[in-house]
Amino acid sequence: MTVVGGSPGADLRDLRRQVRVWRRGRADTRLVDAIGDAYIAVFATAMLTSMAVSVVVNVRAVADTCTSVACTDARAALPWLTGLALVAGTLGVAGLLGPLLVSPAVGSWLLPAPVDRRALLRPRLAGTAAVALAVGAVVAVAVSALSGFPATSVLAYGGCVGAACVLAVGVAAESQARRLRRLGLLTRTLAALVWAGLVALTADAVPAPAAAPRTGWVPVLVTVAALAVAALALAYADLTRLSRDRLAPGGSLLPGLSGALAGLDLALVEDVLVERRWRARSTVRPVRGRGVGGAALVWRELVRLRRNPRALVVLLAALVVPYLGGSLGLGRADLLVAAATGFLAGIGLFSSLRVLTRTPGLVRCLPLGAAAVRSACVSVPAAVVLCWALGAEPALRAAAGLAPADAVPLAVAVAVTAVTAVVRFVTGRPPDYRLPLVTSPMGAVPTSLYVSAARGFDVLLLGSAPLLLAPTATGAVISLALDGIVLAVLLGRP
Amino acid sequence: MPRTPPTPPRLRVRGLTRRFGDVDVVKDLDLDLPAGGALALVGRNGAGKSTVLRCVSAAEVPTAGTVELDGAPVDERSARTRRDMAVVMDDLDFFPDLSVVEHLDLFARAHGVPDAEAVVDAVLHEVGLVPQSAQLPGTLSSGQRRRLALASAFVRPRRLLVLDEPEARLDRAGVAWLVDRLRREKADGLGILLASHDADLVAAVADSVLDLDRVP
Repeated sequence: MTVVGGSPGADLRDLRRQVRVWRRGRADTRLVDAIGDAYIAVFATAMLTSMAVSVVVNVRAVADTCTSVACTDARAALPWLTGLALVAGTLGVAGLLGPLLVSPAVGSWLLPAPVDRRALLRPRLAGTAAVALAVGAVVAVAVSALSGFPATSVLAYGGCVGAACVLAVGVAAESQARRLRRLGLLTRTLAALVWAGLVALTADAVPAPAAAPRTGWVPVLVTVAALAVAALALAYADLTRLSRDRLAPGGSLLPGLSGALAGLDLALVEDVLVERRWRARSTVRPVRGRGVGGAALVWRELVRLRRNPRALVVLLAALVVPYLGGSLGLGRADLLVAAATGFLAGIGLFSSLRVLTRTPGLVRCLPLGAAAVRSACVSVPAAVVLCWALGAEPALRAAAGLAPADAVPLAVAVAVTAVTAVVRFVTGRPPDYRLPLVTSPMGAVPTSLYVSAARGFDVLLLGSAPLLLAPTATGAVISLALDGIVLAVLLGRP
Repeated sequence: MPRTPPTPPRLRVRGLTRRFGDVDVVKDLDLDLPAGGALALVGRNGAGKSTVLRCVSAAEVPTAGTVELDGAPVDERSARTRRDMAVVMDDLDFFPDLSVVEHLDLFARAHGVPDAEAVVDAVLHEVGLVPQSAQLPGTLSSGQRRRLALASAFVRPRRLLVLDEPEARLDRAGVAWLVDRLRREKADGLGILLASHDADLVAAVADSVLDLDRVP
């Protein structure tokens, strides 16, 4: 039978209605369960919101007692830098996922049909804009409240940042439809501005703290909101320009990210993003190997570092954090901040260790023991993190008031703690569903699921504790000893 | 006496180039496919068969070159292209909670097919998925999934069929049915562009063969 008929475009509402009819009675949740889930969701939201408000109020009360120049500078600059960071983050996430995307099934069964693409994508554009508005406004309200803004300014500032995030979504959607390549550049520029602001704050180069403006918000809010509406209107008009190859990648990325997040496997999230980045790059210039055995692996790490300087740039940019901590007067807590920064910013350097962990067959292909292979893979990134920590040594010395003889060992201990935390993070195994399950609001989950979320952070605290308790060479030695034991276990296990 | 303008080929490709990084996977490719004709792309793995099909079906944007269907540029965003070109690649995904028959019904309705139920029933019968019509796609074997993917091309209107290794994962009877079906499609005046490693299928269906290993 050859089909010859067919209208130029089916009515999407009819299709949706038909799908609803098919799906009726197939729900896998009973009404009682749904009401129970809703009750838990509402109760949890109310509880978390009240906790967040309480934290903001208390922290603000504490912050009000801070009168040093650095502290007041930081409080004055914090909302503005956060607003900029939120817009940059919105652009980054929007560029990563689309911002408009369709699920793989919709991509297979509805996009190839002559249905009205604007009608199909309109709710997705509206939903994305609503999420951006809510997240941007809520975070901006919390941060501006912390910074001592008056109540009306807090609300107005939240509205401005929320609208700016919607504007970012509109710009990203337009860029997606028109295949503009400048979105990444814009995102990086905004991120660089945030970084420059942090550097200026560290160097006390920020002008005298201005009090939060009490008036003049209305024209700003109206302007940003008008721009956001205009950007959304433009994006809406161009929804028909969106082709399948622009909509499908985000949809195929999302299930991987959702699955990784559902398993609280943050390392897997990193894997998904790294794989996508390399697939987009497509080809590289081949470089011949050098050395034999472990030396060949070390050489390959050097090649990898040169091939992917992004990870190095991120780590170098993060050097501002310990200095900022110092200028904010964090004291010895700056050691923990430095170790955490080295941990989080250093993850990208350890990609080959992650690959070897995910594919143990690869290790078996090499004529070296597992410990030797892992050690070779860790050597170059660990050396980079060590250099980074030595670069942060002046900040640590000033922040914690360390003696010069103690500062270098402490910086080394910070580096080794960060490296150990990264190794713990990237060598983690996925949750084991064969283990005993415990009940939770999410259903039955294995106990190792909770460990997944804390992986890396646990070792970070373990290695940092001696540094915080005794910021001396002795503390550094104890920390190094603890890290050494953990590293030996992690790198040496079969 | 006025001269009738020559009918454009069903599919015309000119100067098609697709580059990944520094590598030209397809370079400066020309091809014409008349209505009622079938062209098979053959070649080793990585020769660029699927890339050509993806560019022709506008699933991928070529680095250079043009693709025309019945004289009009192929644009995946236009309803006309989506209505006239049926594509079966290896990347079909499914709604986990819709059955086999519902997938096909949805697709037929989305294409505005009159009497969609009758068309779907006939195609289901033809591809041998009647016993599985109420099954969810997650429970199908890979061969049955392939049959469902092929069925999606036959429940809708089309002028050109683009098939990437349509014989993959089909049993012998399935391949025989496919050959018969594609011959009937040709007889009905449709154009067929396929990529395949099955020499028998190519010999039975294709009027012409383009070996991408031998394209200069």
